[in-house]
Amino acid sequence: MNLHRLILLAAGLGVLAACAESSRSSGDLGGGDPERGAVIIVREACGACHQIPGIQAADGQVGPPLGGVGRRTIIAGMLANTPQNMAYWVRRPQAVVPGNAMPDVGLSEAQARDVAAYLETLR
Amino acid sequence: MKLRLRIRLRLLMAWAAGLATVALGALGVVCFGVFDTTASTPHPPLIAWATHVTMQNAVRRNARRMPPPPRFTPADAQRGFRLYEANCVMCHGGPGIARAAWVSGMTPAPPYLLDAARRWSPNELYWIVRQGVRMTAMPAWDQTLSVKDDWDLVAFLEQLQRLTPADYARLKAAAQPEPGAAQKPSPP
Repeated sequence: MNLHRLILLAAGLGVLAACAESSRSSGDLGGGDPERGAVIIVREACGACHQIPGIQAADGQVGPPLGGVGRRTIIAGMLANTPQNMAYWVRRPQAVVPGNAMPDVGLSEAQARDVAAYLETLR
Repeated sequence: MKLRLRIRLRLLMAWAAGLATVALGALGVVCFGVFDTTASTPHPPLIAWATHVTMQNAVRRNARRMPPPPRFTPADAQRGFRLYEANCVMCHGGPGIARAAWVSGMTPAPPYLLDAARRWSPNELYWIVRQGVRMTAMPAWDQTLSVKDDWDLVAFLEQLQRLTPADYARLKAAAQPEPGAAQKPSPP
């Protein structure tokens, strides 16, 4: 087998791998750490108002349930669901929708990225 | 007959050995401190579930033995709001209102109470407020608030599920300090 063929084969396999990845999920967690995000979600008591799969006692019925939120198109009724927008929404909900019932709980930008990364894994 | 007896004896011994192992393990946990007592990490799922469900059932059981709750008036709820602002909002937040920042350091995490009246009956809420919740940061308010105060808090919690952030702000603006004893709770 000559070198050309080998390179072509490798490239083909790479494309295949990329396809498999993208069909499973967007794969983009926005640079946050979902495991740290899960801990923050517990400590901020997000589950008092939201149903959140994988989070202990997260059975709230105040805000929308977050099962499959990673597949949702629009968040907060007005933002495209990207990890960046999700991080902004969970950090500054009162800036996005002033007067809504979800408080600014004082997350740092890094914490908000972690929370958004966890939510992105809910598919 | 003899064989059966021997099998029974063996089963009994296996049970005893199992029990002894569990007891030794538990003693080991206590003696060597092999348990995460930090508040910075959430409970493991099994402990979170066991403690929370035990608390829920204990509250329900005790509340069932109470006489029916009093009828609440709007004035009760208004007094309850003042008490909530003075004693509760820092840990439990409100509509559009975050808890104090340091509360994120508590395990288990104090919940927001916007749907507390949907989760609990008035008697159950009273029981929780009055008696507190052991192994959480929820104090018993039986020493610092009166029976009437605690019922007024329940009256307010019944309203809280219908309050928008704007309603809450209006209540806050309207709540002038009670003449005289606003901060001083009446004796129990």
